[in-house]
Amino acid sequence: MSSRVLRLSLLLSIWLLLGVVVAQAGTYGSYKPGDFQTTNPNYPVPNPFYFEGRIDWNLLGITQPSNTWEYLQRGIHYQDDLDDTKSAIADYQTALSLNSLQNGTCQIVTAASLVQTGTTAGTLPSTLSPAPCIFTIRLRLGYLLRQSNPAQAISMFQEVLQIDPIKLGVNSLIGATYVIQAEQTVDKTAQQVAYNNAIQAFQAELALSPVTPQTIALTNDLANNAHVHWALSEIYQALGQNSNAITELQSYLQATQWHSDVYPWRITLANTMITSLQGKTRSK
Amino acid sequence: MRTKVTILSLVGLCALQLGCGVQQTPVATVGPPPPPPQFQPQPFQRPESCLPCHQRQYDELRQAVKAGYRNVSPLFNGLESAGNLINGGLLRPVYADSKVVLPDGTLLNTNMFSSPVLTETRQVQAGFCVTCHNPNVEMISDKDLSAREVPQLDGLGQNFLPTLFRPLRDYAMVDSSHKQIIPTNPGDYPPTDALPSLGAAGITCDLCHNQNGPDLNRSFMHDGFANTSLILTPTKEKVGPFLFPVGVKDSFHVVSNDPDRIGFLRAGAFCNSCHDVRVPNNNLTSQEYNINPGGSKVKFFRLENLSSEWQVGAYNSTKNPFSQIVRCQDCHMSLFPYAGSSTYQVGDMTVTSPTPAVFPTDFAAVPGVSTDQNYPLPQRKVVTHFFTGVDVPLLSADELKARLGSNYPDPNATGTDTHGVPVGIVNRREDLLKAAVRINVSKSDTTATPGQPFNVRVEAVSLTGHRLPAGFSQERTVYVQLQVTDDNGFLVYQSGYVVDKPHPITGEAAPDGNLDDEDIEHVHAVVDGGHYTPTYTPGTGTNGGNNALLELGPDDGPEGRVYAGVPEGLVLFRNELTHVFVPCLPSATTCTTDRVGRNDAQGNPLKAQTAHFEETFNAALANSVDNFRSLQPLTPRTFTYAIQLPTLAEQQALGITIKGPLHVHAQVNFEHFPPLFLRYLAQTTGPGGPTGSGLQLVDEKLIDTKLKNIQNIASADTTVEVQ
Repeated sequence: MSSRVLRLSLLLSIWLLLGVVVAQAGTYGSYKPGDFQTTNPNYPVPNPFYFEGRIDWNLLGITQPSNTWEYLQRGIHYQDDLDDTKSAIADYQTALSLNSLQNGTCQIVTAASLVQTGTTAGTLPSTLSPAPCIFTIRLRLGYLLRQSNPAQAISMFQEVLQIDPIKLGVNSLIGATYVIQAEQTVDKTAQQVAYNNAIQAFQAELALSPVTPQTIALTNDLANNAHVHWALSEIYQALGQNSNAITELQSYLQATQWHSDVYPWRITLANTMITSLQGKTRSK
Repeated sequence: MRTKVTILSLVGLCALQLGCGVQQTPVATVGPPPPPPQFQPQPFQRPESCLPCHQRQYDELRQAVKAGYRNVSPLFNGLESAGNLINGGLLRPVYADSKVVLPDGTLLNTNMFSSPVLTETRQVQAGFCVTCHNPNVEMISDKDLSAREVPQLDGLGQNFLPTLFRPLRDYAMVDSSHKQIIPTNPGDYPPTDALPSLGAAGITCDLCHNQNGPDLNRSFMHDGFANTSLILTPTKEKVGPFLFPVGVKDSFHVVSNDPDRIGFLRAGAFCNSCHDVRVPNNNLTSQEYNINPGGSKVKFFRLENLSSEWQVGAYNSTKNPFSQIVRCQDCHMSLFPYAGSSTYQVGDMTVTSPTPAVFPTDFAAVPGVSTDQNYPLPQRKVVTHFFTGVDVPLLSADELKARLGSNYPDPNATGTDTHGVPVGIVNRREDLLKAAVRINVSKSDTTATPGQPFNVRVEAVSLTGHRLPAGFSQERTVYVQLQVTDDNGFLVYQSGYVVDKPHPITGEAAPDGNLDDEDIEHVHAVVDGGHYTPTYTPGTGTNGGNNALLELGPDDGPEGRVYAGVPEGLVLFRNELTHVFVPCLPSATTCTTDRVGRNDAQGNPLKAQTAHFEETFNAALANSVDNFRSLQPLTPRTFTYAIQLPTLAEQQALGITIKGPLHVHAQVNFEHFPPLFLRYLAQTTGPGGPTGSGLQLVDEKLIDTKLKNIQNIASADTTVEVQ
């Protein structure tokens, strides 16, 4: 065998061997992941509502916000991921200034919005100008301000009710913030007003998910919104309205019958309190 | 000089052979697909045709839910039916012989798979579900009536006939001569002589091994993602993972040597063509539409976003703990999670989890029967075909065999195969889930005071290649269960709990002792199942789908945490389908887009006077989606619970004294599907629903006996001193 043939044989052997080795190492193929992906699929382009809620900040791939929605998202990042409420409040306030009912940079989407844009019944155009008002900004900012500035927090929550009057949980936030306001004041009259406003707000919350024969047939629940009833009972106790407090505690017990509570001991406590309050009512 | 030439020759040959070490090239480029290779046609076949030579692969694939079970699944069939009952059958395929005319006068005779470019929403709707679950059957059904399993409906939209409507699985049976058998009544149990059809095999061997690259023109973003944007070429040429395969006995098939097709099969991109699901509904919060020429009318939202999540995630890069791209195949077609563990750092969390990308060594085909001239086969690294995910069959063993063949494997089988992998899918699912997430609670407050709030902080990280949960992530449910007890066992706080209760709408009059059929307590919802009317009208009016009841529960967390930043209540990683209700013009008397679906306290229909966002449980009704509630891979997040200890007065009234330390236990649970979602399907496809007679898919018995949740896929504990 000539040396040329030997070299060729050797070359061929190495080539085949290399093929086996590479095959076993699993490096076959010529597909490069990412070849077809030219845009960031996580960046929502508003249409026509801005995306409400939270997106993972890192997925946006930006460092400096440039519009209301990006300020909102960075604020959420500060609040949720970095526990930096001061920076979060600042970003929410900037976001709000760019999406404001007061300066006309946002609108509440009503039937009038449809008339204005000439769309057909029940449909929206692909863009709305000004943009729809964002409830997430207001809820987040309001929640962070509820202790330091309950009045402003309440006004934030009330704007949310303008944006969506039937959104669940907003009236409860208003009620809870009025309770904070009542607890912070030493003025008895102001306290009474705040508690009454709280009662009104909590009752508005209950009205949004009413207990009716139809709902009872669906679930067997004779009451719902356990935490609203608990909060109302506490207000009535603070106001010395024991009879109302008992009623609310009874509703709380009905609402927790099939749902328990995150604080399950409150169920036992509610029974104890009812007995105690009934005693006080009788002794009057 | 001679040495240089040799090296250059080697490099050149190496490049010719494998493309090794040189820049990788894409499988396809923008523009029309290449002409299909000229190989002898071979009809799509059931996997049994591949069994004699590929027994191991057959046995593994047989257990995968995508390969059979999914097509007869009561859930899949129920969901597909629910969508059709609302929109008048638009999700059923139309074919080349269709006479359906669109409102603009054009003919609708192509479906989601057969449309070269999807220019009409109705094309995407036509066969929307079967295009992913049975694209091969849909493809051959287009012009071949004898191959057609799922017929075109006689009436669509306003002309839909709900009483004649059948679930898809009614069409997946044949007799011994391969002639289709249809049960007497919609949804009837399979006749005794019924055999599974080609469609009943779901995703078959041919489907993957006859792929011919991504169909860019049919993918909305022209990227080969979603909705089976895959070119299928049913010929004798099968694509495998290896170059230079051994010749096949009797030339039953030949094996492709095309490195691009092989590379595509081996890449995550291959999975991407199906594992994003984009629903052709107008999306009111994100502007997404078909960018292909002529496609701008087709708008969509992302139902399954799994592939996109992987594509932009750390595992599709080398910047992950394993310093290599971890493909779908590396976890779902490997020995994962049964091939040892790795310990690594993710942010401030130290994690130990199973190692991906470890493959068994085995034969690619059965030695002695599969090769031309009995050419000896080498043992080499091979993939498994279990495709384990988070789903398991929700049918009895008997019904599985009746619908899918007498050799259908027992999902609860015990034991392991020769590579140490459990043979039962139920066990594999649980093990996979236990590899998916880790948590710790070490950042919690260390002390608590009666009457004062203290913070428990649960840090969670997903270890999955996509987000957690993924897939149908708006129904697949992963959540944190948290319990705080004092040193005497007194329960101070609970979240992520369930309560045994009655379910009158599906006939469970009293608590039944089963907790797997209970929803978590963040929200109470009952979805309207609709009812039969002699004259069918599309929409939610009589066909249900909206929330007949929706109220916040005592463990409300998602609403408060996402929108208001409230650190209380349930930590839920489930994504959300959202319906944005749009107000109606006062003059638009027939407009119903403002109808929320339930009544106010006075019994009047509740109407949205402004735009109203609400969670919906029917994908057909969603016009927005929040896919960011799930956990991003390899990105730890911390969730705070502000928990109030009872005051001293409250403790006195309760007759207790809180004794420290407090014991904090957090665990992550997986819920197969929300029971309320199954109860909706039971209602809407039941005898009281729009069909009038029912489709025999889901009922309370199935929910009670088959729905099994996986508790405690990860956990962490700490203690808190009481001051």
